[in-house]
Amino acid sequence: MAFDKMELKDIEVWDGNFAAAQALRQCQIDVVAAYPITPSTPIVEGYGKFKADNYVEGEFVMVESEHAAMSGCIGAAAAGGRVATATSSQGYALMVETLYQASGMRLPIVLNVVNRALAAPLNVNGDHSDMYLGRDSGWIQLDAYCPQDAYDLNFIAFKVSEDHGVRLPCMVHQDGFMTSHTAQGVHTLSDDVAYGFVGDFKPMNDMLDFEHPVTHGVQTEEDWHFEHKARQHNDLMTKVLPKIQTAFDDFEKLSGRKYNIVESYDMDDADVCVICMGTSVETSREVATEMRAKGIKAGVVGLRVIRPFPFFEIAEALKNVKAIATLDRSSPNGAPGMLFNETAGALFNTQARPMLSGFIYGLGGRDLTKAHLVNIYKELQANVDAGKVTTQLQQFIGVRGPKLAFL
Amino acid sequence: MSEIKKIKNLKEFSTSADRFEGANLLCPGCAHSIIVREVLNATNDDLILSASTGCLEVCTAVYPYTSWDASWIHIGFENGSTAVAGAESMYKALKTKGRLKQPDRNPKFVSFAGDGASYDIGFQWISGCMERGHNMMHVVLDNEVYANTGGQRSSSTPIGSSTTTAPAGRVSYGEQKNKKDMVAIMAAHGIPYSAQVAPNKWKDMVKKIQHGMEVEGPVFINAISPCTTEWKFDPKDTMHITDLATDSLVFPLYEIIDGHELNITYRPKDIVPVEEYMAAQGRFKHLFKDEYKYLIKEWQERVDAKWAYLNRREEARV
Amino acid sequence: MAKTGWDEFEIGAMLRTFDGKIDDIAGTIQENRAYSQNSSFSASVSDWRIEKPIFSKDFCIDCQFCWIYCPDISIISRDKKMIGIDMDHCKGCGICVEVCPTNPKSLLMFPEQADEEAELAKWPAKQAKEK
Repeated sequence: MAFDKMELKDIEVWDGNFAAAQALRQCQIDVVAAYPITPSTPIVEGYGKFKADNYVEGEFVMVESEHAAMSGCIGAAAAGGRVATATSSQGYALMVETLYQASGMRLPIVLNVVNRALAAPLNVNGDHSDMYLGRDSGWIQLDAYCPQDAYDLNFIAFKVSEDHGVRLPCMVHQDGFMTSHTAQGVHTLSDDVAYGFVGDFKPMNDMLDFEHPVTHGVQTEEDWHFEHKARQHNDLMTKVLPKIQTAFDDFEKLSGRKYNIVESYDMDDADVCVICMGTSVETSREVATEMRAKGIKAGVVGLRVIRPFPFFEIAEALKNVKAIATLDRSSPNGAPGMLFNETAGALFNTQARPMLSGFIYGLGGRDLTKAHLVNIYKELQANVDAGKVTTQLQQFIGVRGPKLAFL
Repeated sequence: MSEIKKIKNLKEFSTSADRFEGANLLCPGCAHSIIVREVLNATNDDLILSASTGCLEVCTAVYPYTSWDASWIHIGFENGSTAVAGAESMYKALKTKGRLKQPDRNPKFVSFAGDGASYDIGFQWISGCMERGHNMMHVVLDNEVYANTGGQRSSSTPIGSSTTTAPAGRVSYGEQKNKKDMVAIMAAHGIPYSAQVAPNKWKDMVKKIQHGMEVEGPVFINAISPCTTEWKFDPKDTMHITDLATDSLVFPLYEIIDGHELNITYRPKDIVPVEEYMAAQGRFKHLFKDEYKYLIKEWQERVDAKWAYLNRREEARV
Repeated sequence: MAKTGWDEFEIGAMLRTFDGKIDDIAGTIQENRAYSQNSSFSASVSDWRIEKPIFSKDFCIDCQFCWIYCPDISIISRDKKMIGIDMDHCKGCGICVEVCPTNPKSLLMFPEQADEEAELAKWPAKQAKEK
């Protein structure tokens, strides 16, 4: 081996960015083409330092924009090898054109997205605006709630994305600053165990196979385009979740850490629950436990997989609950909110059809406090007691000024 | 290092087995295809190719057909160069790691793009590729207009040309700005090789392409590609128009080594007046009205000045 | 190629030029290559033509100008000899005729319906150079 392995302690104190950078190092990426942007920059910096210290053998290409970063990743992935990068916010927005191209060309690329607000006004802090922007781009989207998840989900991402039955790019999301810059104890895998889980890259339709030339990125018009998009959607709908489940199962056997497509917390007998993503899941769990001490049977549903949307898994997780609050951390700009809409869609044809209300919170890094969540749970309980939604369907929480509510 | 393909004369060149196929959808008489063939046939080595969105791309990879016999990729309008740079990076990585399926090959990485995709929308991506030192060649198929979308002006469109977004009209002679000097800009990156080529001078083209493929590092090639549709001439006259371009010195052929050493590679025996070049194309037809004839004169002066400048550069060896 | 359903093609709209493996493309002439149905080599644009070139080998000097300047890879040269025109891929642009240096020309354009044998039989004679 021309590169050096790194000795890790069983538990390292890492923030989400460094955890992701370590996972990339352990996966032995062939090409990383990247561009720095707050708050994902330390992933790229960390990887660059690994390269400088000979812990990485692949190519590390610092390009001139995020658009070029993903363009380079697409070229590298089509050439045939393991490819990853990282970005946030405006960089992600600049990448959007190429996100669709990567997925449409069925290229396995892992993109670490450290979630951050979108301008204007400019803001460097965490919310889910960038994550939502890419939700129709044909990528698999996994969501980390803490640095440990950010580490582990990278292994899952490569395993699923590179599977020849899937061949779809995959994002691993973590919250800007709250996860990316918060150091926590992270249980590690040794370099060999980690790489063994992900396995060697298996090329498919690779441009560098000179004996089998391929054409990538063709034009299809009205006579073919629909079929290709339908194929991609079919594969997202039918092939990805089973592969993720298998990867989660295998990972649990290896690490003892269990991930689920939908992360239910105290949902068995819950009357009320919130559905949310990112760091808010952990805060909500803490508050839910406290609410139980106060006599409210509270639970939490966290989305682990955003795309493909776990339609039936969500409905299953919510089948016995009476009132639900969806927590969307992105300005819905004229609509109820992504989680509200998707959850409503999943529940509409169910028998129980629990009450649903939506909350917009945390834009631009505004804290979601425990007090906010206590109020939400109390409102949900009030809805249960009244047998109807007693508030407007969309409420803003944590914003200054007169109460803001719609619908 | 692979051996450079021996091409002493045209007969020898004609034994090349083309890696670009017919029944592509390019217009009859399109120079793009002639340039692509000359570039591809200059080597027997394996090729990894890209095209940015444009005529070449939309005419050679319309599902379910491809006209490419080597691996080829298209992503978007602006990033064909970076697609090839990514593939070249992967090649390096797999070579280092010993994972190439055919490790004995010596592939050449070439991106093709129009002037719109190079001078305008893809400018930053190409600059990045040149600056980072990828071992690749970017070839501009310079037809001085957005031909694929119906003839809009680009920053390569010359003064006086009538385009659909800078049309000649009652009070306008068409394009108002001079053509951007892309070769100078790319040479300023300090890249090992940049050059202007023309398909009529195939031997000059092959020599430059072969040199470009042999040097280590990024190479920029600007190829004039007369467009029968947008320049408005008969498809059969493509090579005649190209001859007029090179022999009037409107499109001088030269190379710049290591960003500074300039060599003129073609000196026409009989220099043709610029007016003759312009008169052969419909896009300049309106300039032959009395009120615009000064533009033709000015253009001749500009061409003369550029030629004098190139000669001074060559002589000075700087 | 038949318009197949969504589940009947390769993912990513990827196309392969050849059926199976090809070892040395640049060293394999077209007739020895196993083109797939996805190579445009397998397709035809002959219906684009209004006029077609006819080749008279009597005067051809195998200079290969027509080969190098043909945009449609339609001049078939083998062993340094011009042996014919690929009429599936020729779009009838007429460049080959323009660049042909012989006297009389070895390539001339005719209406698409013209009969090749008849035209060859009445091929123009050598023209005296104008003084």
